[in-house]
Formats: sequence, structure tokens, C-alpha cells
Amino acid sequence: MTMDLFVNAIIAGILLGGFYVAVTVGISIAFGILDIANIAHPAFIILGSYIAYIVNSRFGVDPVLVAVLMLPVFYGLGALVYEVYYHAFERRGQDALAGLSFFFGLLFITEVALILVFGVDYRYVEASYIGPTIRFGFVDLPLRMLIPCVISLLLIVGLQLYLSRTFIGRAIMAVSQDQQALRLLAADPVRIKRVAFAISIATTALAGAFLIIIQPVEPSVGREYIGRVFAICVLGGLGSLPGTVIGAMLLGIVESLTATFYGPSWAPAVAFGFLLLTLAFRPAGILGR
Amino acid sequence: MASSITIKNIDAGYGAVRVLENVSVEVKSGETVALLGTNGNGKSTLMKCIMGIVRPSSGSIVAEIDGVKHELIGKTTEEIVDLGIALVPEGRRLFPRLTVEENLLLGAFRPTARAQMQRNLEFCFETFPRLRERAKQLAGSMSGGEQQMLALARALMLAPKILLVDEPSVGLAPILVSRTIDAIKQLKESFGLTVLMAEQNFTQAIRIANRGYVIVHGKIEFEGGSPEELNNNDLIRKFYMGM
Repeated sequence: MTMDLFVNAIIAGILLGGFYVAVTVGISIAFGILDIANIAHPAFIILGSYIAYIVNSRFGVDPVLVAVLMLPVFYGLGALVYEVYYHAFERRGQDALAGLSFFFGLLFITEVALILVFGVDYRYVEASYIGPTIRFGFVDLPLRMLIPCVISLLLIVGLQLYLSRTFIGRAIMAVSQDQQALRLLAADPVRIKRVAFAISIATTALAGAFLIIIQPVEPSVGREYIGRVFAICVLGGLGSLPGTVIGAMLLGIVESLTATFYGPSWAPAVAFGFLLLTLAFRPAGILGR
Repeated sequence: MASSITIKNIDAGYGAVRVLENVSVEVKSGETVALLGTNGNGKSTLMKCIMGIVRPSSGSIVAEIDGVKHELIGKTTEEIVDLGIALVPEGRRLFPRLTVEENLLLGAFRPTARAQMQRNLEFCFETFPRLRERAKQLAGSMSGGEQQMLALARALMLAPKILLVDEPSVGLAPILVSRTIDAIKQLKESFGLTVLMAEQNFTQAIRIANRGYVIVHGKIEFEGGSPEELNNNDLIRKFYMGM
């Protein structure tokens, strides 16, 4: 009996970790690779959730399909935010503290705007896969967790291939290390950063849809994820997408085990304790370079 | 096809500080020219002027690439590199947390270089077998000499016509300085490059240079038409040999 619980808790943790991958991958790019501490990231995720909610409730379109269609729009939004950030802060060398407050502002503005328009009620989407669960013996695989997990893993494999196999991708990996050196290789670092940041925001369209598939959403739900996404990013190792997958899975499993055996309220404390312990032994994170 | 650089009467500096005064330097097609001078005389600033990193307040810098002339002043660094002018910067400026191979492949970023990437990569690995052995290692974890080889190889991946090398000997043991200078010569010959090299190490630099300029306090004080002329110059004796 305990064995059943244990295996199910592990499986649930992996599925949860898959969802965390989607939530964190954008921060891994923006913070881990570009050094831009975009704490407004969860706000874009919530925005993604609300867009999935609106289109789903009005027209009955599948939330994942909505997210895929929104990818170019979010990409454009990300490019725009980076332009503002670059011209207002980064170019003047004020990216550390002033930039941080810029993203804080963005977080609150988005949240308040959503509250003003939609109120603070929880919203949810409808899709055929939200209810059913696949069962293998005593193992439960709820589809509403399985689908986000699978798509998230495909997403991060695609991004990893993009970063390691393409010229722009490699330039993205290099840009925070030495911008001048990149210029000397005929690559414009501002353009490279804009592309990377835009990709980072584009991933929030998918993460937002996954969030509202998994749980009902209200405008300030994103705050719960701020600590978690940065923790996963640091745990896995800054700048490493495979590290992000490992970090997300570990955090998911630890949270799930704790919630199963000791109660859900212990989950965040144990998860962050786990983070501290890991960093004590591996300060650069699990796969940090 | 001819590729050369003609620098005429440039003045440049940082804010109110004048660093270069009325500097004229010419590197003809296929030559290796040494820009000689001790620290703080403006060698690196001249390199930065050519690459569009520092903008001269007057004068002109014309690069001829495959017979076509381009005025470089006013162009961005990216545009200048894209013409086919590569700089191996002082301090090497590698990406320390990328692998050797990733550093090399980034060298082929510009479209012209992408087309010949595999061939150039193979050439780099043959010329510097060490880089092949360490292809998957992080660039920052290599020794100074290996890093200098990587910096040279990365510049070569750009498929340049003109190669600028800024202080290749800095921070290297004498034996490695000598090897680095040999490597520059070898690359120049294999690729038919035109080379301008800023260097403090006079004896090493003139081993491979056809001609040289001596720069003192931002002015060209002597122009030597051959290594012998440089060797027998009083200024050089004074500055380098303490005679």
C-alpha cells in the first residue's frame, strides 16, 4: 500500500516537474543565459492563461491550440519588452537595480490590469482531456498533467537543439559572456538578446495554457511561481536547459513526496530546503558550467 | 585579389584624452606589418579605430577587400567584420563558458564564413591539433597558450581577408610567444591573408614582419621598410634595448 503511494507520488512529481519545465524554461533563458532578472515572467504566464481562458470560453477552442497560435504574438510582445528594457536601462548600464524595478512594475501592472478586467474570481478552461485519467495497474496518469508534461519536454528538446545547433542559438549562449567579442564575430548582441528574450516570453503562452489546464487561475496566482521558477533555474544550473529539466523534475518529485507523506503545507519548505542543501554541495547548480 | 588597409592622418582619443595624433599606416596586400611600441602608446586604440570600436575625430581608414574599397569610419563593428576584417583582440576575449568547438563555430557567424565552415574547421584542427583534442572542453579551462591558439583559430573561422592581431604575446611564456608568432605566419601563408600585428615583443614580431611602424605617444615615430631597417634604428635601440 505504501509502495503504491510512493510510486504514484513519484509519477505525480515527474508530471508536475514537466509542467515546471514549461514555467521555468523562459526564466532559464532570460535569467540563466541573458542575465536579465525578469521577475515579471509569471505575469506573462498568467496573461497566457487568461488568453487561453477567453478564447476557450468564447469559441470553445482547445487551450493548447490557442497557446500555439499565440506563440508569435508573445514573441512580438517579448521583443517589444526587451526594446523598452534595452533603451531605458541596459544601454545606460542601469540594468541591475532599475531593471529589476522595471520588471516588478510590469508584474504589478499586468496583475492589476487583469484584476480590473476579470475580477479576482478563479477562471478555468474546458477540454476533453481535463477529466480523464489513464490507469496502469495502480499507477495513475491524469491526462491534464500528462499532456502539459509531454509538450513541455518536446519544447525544451527543441529549444536545446536550437541553442546548440544554430548560429543564433550559439550566439545566445555567448552573449552574456562577452558582447564586444560577439561584435567582433559580426553578430549584433542587442539583436541576439532581443531574439532570446522574445523566445523566453513566447514560452509563457504555452506555460500559461498549461497552468489553467492544471488548476483554476486568478490574477495573482503567478506570485506562487516566482520563487519556484528561480529556484529551479538555480538548482539545475544557470544557463543549462538540461539542468532546468533535472531541477524541475527534482523539485516536482520532492514536493509531491512531501505532499503525499507529510501534507501539502510542508511541500514548499522541504523543496526549498532541498535547494539550499544542493547548493551547499554544488554551488553552480546540478549542471552549471 | 588585393586586400589592404590605408590609414591616413587619423586623430583619436577617449573623451578629452588624445591618444592618436595624425597617424598614417599602410598595410599592402599580402604583407605582414608590425605595429611596434611599448604599453600605452596607442597600438590597441589604432586597432579599435580600424574595427569601429573607437571613432577617430579626423582622418580616413580605407580597406580594400578583393579590389573593392570601403571607408571604414562610420561603419559599425559588425559591418566591418562582415567585410572580411578580423581582429584577434588583446586578452583574447574567448567565451570562457562555451566549449572550444562552440567558440570556433561562433567564428563562422557571418554568412560568407558559414559556407566554408567545415573546411575552415578542419584546417584549424589540423593546424592546432590541441584544439581538436580539447574540442569539448570549456575554453576558460585551457592554458594561456592554448587560449591564444583558439583566439587565432576563431578569427580564422571568420574567413577573413585581413587579419589584425593585437598583442598576441601578452601573458605567454617565451616559448609560447614564439609558437604563436609562427602560427600567425603559417595562417597568413595558407590563407593568403594581409596581416597587421600590434606587438611589444620587438624581436619576435620582426621575425615574420615585412615592414614595421614604431608608435610612441600616439605618433608614428619611425617607419621601417624592412626588418633590417627596424633592427638598426636608434629609436628601437633606445626603447627596446636600452642602448
